[in-house]
Amino acid sequence: MMRLIAASMADLMPRGADLPGCDDCNPRAFLLRLRRESDPLFFAGLVLGTLFYQLAPLLTLWIPLPAVLLPRELRERHAQRLAAHPSYLVRQAVTLVRLSAGLCWGMDPAVRARFGLAAYGPDPGTFRTS
Amino acid sequence: MSHTAFQPAGPAVELETDYCVVGSGAGGATAALTLARAGRSVALVEAGPWRDPHDYPSSTFGAFRDMLPAWGTTFTRGRANWPIVQGAVVGGSTVVNSAIAVHTPGDVLESWREQHGFEGGEALQAFQDELDAELHVAEVPPAARGRTDLLALEGARRLGYPSALLQRYVKDCVGSGQCLQGCRAGRKQSLNVNYVPELLARGGSVLSCAPVARVLFTGARASGVRGRFRHPAERARGAEFAVRARRGVLVGASVVQTAPLLQRSGVRHPALGEGFRSHPGAPVIGVYDEPVDMNRGATQGWGSTAFRSEPGFKLETLSLPLDMVAGRLAGAGQPLMERLREFRHFALWIHATRAETVGRIRPAPFGRSNVYYTLAPADMQRFRAAMLMLARTHVAAGARAVIPGIAGLPYRLLPDEIGVLEQAPLDPRAYVSVLSHLFGGCAMGRDPARSVCDPVGRVREREALCIVDASVIPSVLNVNPQHTIMSLARYVAERMLDREKSE
Repeated sequence: MMRLIAASMADLMPRGADLPGCDDCNPRAFLLRLRRESDPLFFAGLVLGTLFYQLAPLLTLWIPLPAVLLPRELRERHAQRLAAHPSYLVRQAVTLVRLSAGLCWGMDPAVRARFGLAAYGPDPGTFRTS
Repeated sequence: MSHTAFQPAGPAVELETDYCVVGSGAGGATAALTLARAGRSVALVEAGPWRDPHDYPSSTFGAFRDMLPAWGTTFTRGRANWPIVQGAVVGGSTVVNSAIAVHTPGDVLESWREQHGFEGGEALQAFQDELDAELHVAEVPPAARGRTDLLALEGARRLGYPSALLQRYVKDCVGSGQCLQGCRAGRKQSLNVNYVPELLARGGSVLSCAPVARVLFTGARASGVRGRFRHPAERARGAEFAVRARRGVLVGASVVQTAPLLQRSGVRHPALGEGFRSHPGAPVIGVYDEPVDMNRGATQGWGSTAFRSEPGFKLETLSLPLDMVAGRLAGAGQPLMERLREFRHFALWIHATRAETVGRIRPAPFGRSNVYYTLAPADMQRFRAAMLMLARTHVAAGARAVIPGIAGLPYRLLPDEIGVLEQAPLDPRAYVSVLSHLFGGCAMGRDPARSVCDPVGRVREREALCIVDASVIPSVLNVNPQHTIMSLARYVAERMLDREKSE
């Protein structure tokens, strides 16, 4: 499942001419952390969104194959059409996949450096215990 | 003085105090401190953990994890699913907001007096003057003014409408652009760094990681609360807790939680959970020739209330982090990556609309709440007008293009194309919106049939139970509500103290 989520995220945010893509930002480590630290409802929504994304080429390309089995050009077209789909529910279905891709990509130090932003400091997760 | 954080399963934690306050946000913390300053023993009970500035996250990932309830998965149910932003830590939303301080407009107080019997307008204004001094309210200092703020000032000036740098609860802001993750520089005067520590110093008690399950009653009189500790990271359930309150219970658990908590506690009133209102908002991005670098400077440094009465919206700058923009910008695939290349040239400004639409709040399983809310067409027209005004301001400030973020319209509009926004769809589903200012659910008023609380915040047909958050607010304000909530909480708490004398 993690590979499917990572593949979907990479489709939505692929490597560009001079920008790293989600695939370059260690998505597996990101997703392991996300599964460990996120709300179960959020992660369940991400899994469902990924399943929808993978099956949706039937809606966008009229091709009854999971997105992960499509060649790169078709995956690119699928991602674009899904993001601009006239149905609100279709667009909403992949919101958490998009959001996760954005978090993974935007917190990567190399990406941030590209935009003149300092690398993020720690997320200590600590709190007062007494 | 005592702070009790998460306690693992074991013997119940029990306290007895004069007053118990549920929720430590703008309303709850202010009410608790008001009572403590009057010499009462107070227990402040907060569902989230107590994080100090050195505990705050740096990234948006960390902010979702540590600062928002259930990873920000609270959203409206209705025609569109719009996210609701709230803080889930000691200090509540004051920890994750931009610390904007605006006095309650006089016309709002006047309408509350006329329509709802609220006689505390002068007291609120006096409290707000005191808050200005106590919480170091000041204009964004030169060092924290971002280019995005200066562009907005200039755009408004060229269009001829008044605007200003914002007044905020920040002492010597350094412009780190991290308001939404919590100010790690410790400059923002969120209530976890001042009021709650003062409450402890005055002998009060704080229970954190302690979501309240029920308000307890003895007959009609509120006599305490009970719940069970919950670990903020592991989500493990811990020991039970119970707070006995000799004199009363004040609930400030947030608009989303207060009415459902009362419903779960057996309070019945036809208006309970009704009358939900908000200031829905959406961004318009301007693309400028020179880099704007919107994450440098205050997160929100500029605003205008020139249009709050007519047509009914306010405008502000808002600097969203790269990781959030990447997940919300329209498009996917290579076109999205092309668009993100311009990130440094983006200036993101938002509006918040004075929406008259009324929704409702209901309890949901697992202690959650459902908010049912669909913006009516008249409000959508205001909403659309605000989008157009933001676009016009960008163009006046020199933007080479505008990104409206509206489904069905082009991704990017050139300056001579922004007129198409006048015909933008009125369907809420076309917009990427967010609700940040929430009101109602336990509205105050003089009519017992239509208002859960009387005009001093007392829950009707119950004794010693008051509401101290924005749930009691019976209308929208169309200005930032934090000052109003804090002063209203103090007003309600002081009326509670007054009643002690007559009992």
